[in-house]
Amino acid sequence: MKAKRLGLLVLSALLTVMVFAGCSKNNSPGITAPSEASQDTDTEKSESKQSIKLKMWGAVPPEAGPQAVMDNFNKAFADQGISIEYERYVNDDQGNMKLETNLLAGNDIDIYVSYTLDGLKKRASGKMALDLTPYLEQDKIDLADSFGGAMATSYNVDGKSYAIPTKFDQFGIVLNKDMFDAAGIPIPTEWTMDEFREIAKKLTHGEGQEKVYGMFFNTQQDIFCSLNYFSVQVLGGDVFYKQGGKETNFTDPAIVKSTRTVADMMNVDKSAPTHVDSVTQKLTQEGMFLSGKSAMTIGPWMIRSIKDKVNYPHSFVTAFAPYPTPEKKSDMFTQGGLGDLVSINPKSKNIDAAWTFLKWYATEGMLPLSQGGRVPAYKQFDKDSILQAFISGAEDILDAQTTKAVLIDPKTNYAVPSISNKLPEIRKVLGEELEKIYLENKTTENGLADAKKRADELLK
Amino acid sequence: MKISRQLKTDIVGYTFIAPNLIGFLIFTLFPVAFSVVISFTDWDYTQGFNSMTFNWGNNFVEMWKDEWFVASLINTFYFSFAVVPATVFIALVLAVVIDKYVIGKTPVRLAMFMPYISNIVALSIVWVMMYSPYGPITQLVQSLGVENPPKWLGDFNWAMPAIIVMSIWAGVGYCIMIYTSAIQSLPTEQYEAAEIDGASEVQKFFKITIPMLSPTTFFLVITTFIASFQVFGQIMIMTRGGPGTSTSVLVHYVYTTAFSFYRMGYAAAISWILFIVLFIITIIQWQGQKKWVSYT
Repeated sequence: MKAKRLGLLVLSALLTVMVFAGCSKNNSPGITAPSEASQDTDTEKSESKQSIKLKMWGAVPPEAGPQAVMDNFNKAFADQGISIEYERYVNDDQGNMKLETNLLAGNDIDIYVSYTLDGLKKRASGKMALDLTPYLEQDKIDLADSFGGAMATSYNVDGKSYAIPTKFDQFGIVLNKDMFDAAGIPIPTEWTMDEFREIAKKLTHGEGQEKVYGMFFNTQQDIFCSLNYFSVQVLGGDVFYKQGGKETNFTDPAIVKSTRTVADMMNVDKSAPTHVDSVTQKLTQEGMFLSGKSAMTIGPWMIRSIKDKVNYPHSFVTAFAPYPTPEKKSDMFTQGGLGDLVSINPKSKNIDAAWTFLKWYATEGMLPLSQGGRVPAYKQFDKDSILQAFISGAEDILDAQTTKAVLIDPKTNYAVPSISNKLPEIRKVLGEELEKIYLENKTTENGLADAKKRADELLK
Repeated sequence: MKISRQLKTDIVGYTFIAPNLIGFLIFTLFPVAFSVVISFTDWDYTQGFNSMTFNWGNNFVEMWKDEWFVASLINTFYFSFAVVPATVFIALVLAVVIDKYVIGKTPVRLAMFMPYISNIVALSIVWVMMYSPYGPITQLVQSLGVENPPKWLGDFNWAMPAIIVMSIWAGVGYCIMIYTSAIQSLPTEQYEAAEIDGASEVQKFFKITIPMLSPTTFFLVITTFIASFQVFGQIMIMTRGGPGTSTSVLVHYVYTTAFSFYRMGYAAAISWILFIVLFIITIIQWQGQKKWVSYT
């Protein structure tokens, strides 16, 4: 009897230990490593010198360029014993949370890409990004000089560079050249909101399911277009704020004008699908523009889909135009900026190798990404070879001239954001009020005035 | 050394429950206790533990001035007090009807049960299409002669009712299942007696079936209340709390504050309010059951 009990006890204890040992074994290979390493220290050392394996996290699908970059790097740096692997995370709330959790938890990620200044700031102050300033100095790389002028250093956090901004973003209206040609409208190189509205009206025709709209604003996914793309050209990067971030700027004439134009085009002219249509049918740029249901749409970040003739079969030529402006002014800002902020994880075991990769990536490695519509920021890249890569495989459906003029050729006076006071909350307030304006619950003036009142309350 | 027999038995017992108990302590009890602590702080979790500062009860005071919180709380009540009674009542009627008048009960019950076991994301996407301006619901309303049918999910006043209808549809199958098994175990004597006395079907339903099913009803009301207070999936997929704040509910707002605003302390405080509200409602229901639930 007694022996039986004791046996049970031992058995259950054993089971428990085994269950937990089983767990810990998988999670921490470090525990077993030293004993193995001590057996043949010499070979281990020389081997580890030869094979550094880096890991990079980014949000671009591997087939849209990153895999080609990785392959090029692994070939070029094989003799130095560095290789790299790419893993995709999805650039939404959950994806970014996953990235941050992984960065905080350990050293699995060596290099990663942030897509917003907000995100980078958070990661820099949370010790999730390595200060690259000493490395830049050591290799005599001047960010401002080589990567898009003064704009590059605006991505510094507290005067330090925690990332290299590798991508150069210029946006504009995406338009169906065939429809413009058919209507006899030349592709604009500069235009006001009023001219834009007239052209959209001219391009609208048909009824019901057959209707072709002049414009599609994509308010379902991004309701801030009137500020972020139109007003920003007059007001600059901190279009949400005035007085250095102590107050919001939502009643500025430029914002009122562009917001009213968007609302009127949707609800009065009916030259663009309404916000209700956008929300209730979950309309997308791909679904509207690439299927020929709208002549223009808001932004070229769907360039991958435009080039994808298999999933989005279409034969018309896509061209680009700069954003229309709410008013004319002598020194306009260009809607654009730097993106793909590549950082190194300070917890990485191979920081030097990671820096080697990052330097190579920013200055020569990233060209394959142009195929997926990303323009490298490093100024030494030849603009024509970027264009070639950019339109390769889609030469017949992308208008080379406007592609280069609008998306690739660098401009001056970029709108650079610098303030992000309470930005998530302010965006929520503004989004709600814009929704009320677009759903005709409030007039443009009242809605924006209410947005300002509510947002200013948050800034107090 | 001598170990007493009792102690030995205890050790064996605890060893058996240890794997589960340790898991419970680490993954349930600790987070619950920790959330109490952080509900009294300001904490942006991406900035590490250093950024955690105690503001004591400030979160719990501040939230009543926060229009998003207040709106979410009201919407949660709106949602629950519409969904729970409707779901339970419709389920009761359907369960009785299916039990009495339907040929081929099993396939019908199975069909009713399908939404409950389907993924809420899939259901929500189907319902987004149902509510779209070219979808069947709008078409039906139009063909009934309504000239300007509501915009449903894009309408400040109709978005919440639209989600409520969808949630009732999704939850009713489970309640039917529970009611069906309860109905099958009802004794037949009372019905026979009532028939002899000449009671109609309606009378039998209200005077016999409903009182005899009251323990089941009580169980369903409590559980569906708790579930409906935690509604999240359909809101997240169908409206994301919009338009405006018209469909913002507490759990969705907790998610927004924690993962869009990075305000962990405030989100934890709201979660605790959600718990307290639910707790109070459940206590009231337990007290109230004495009046209407009969366990005979």
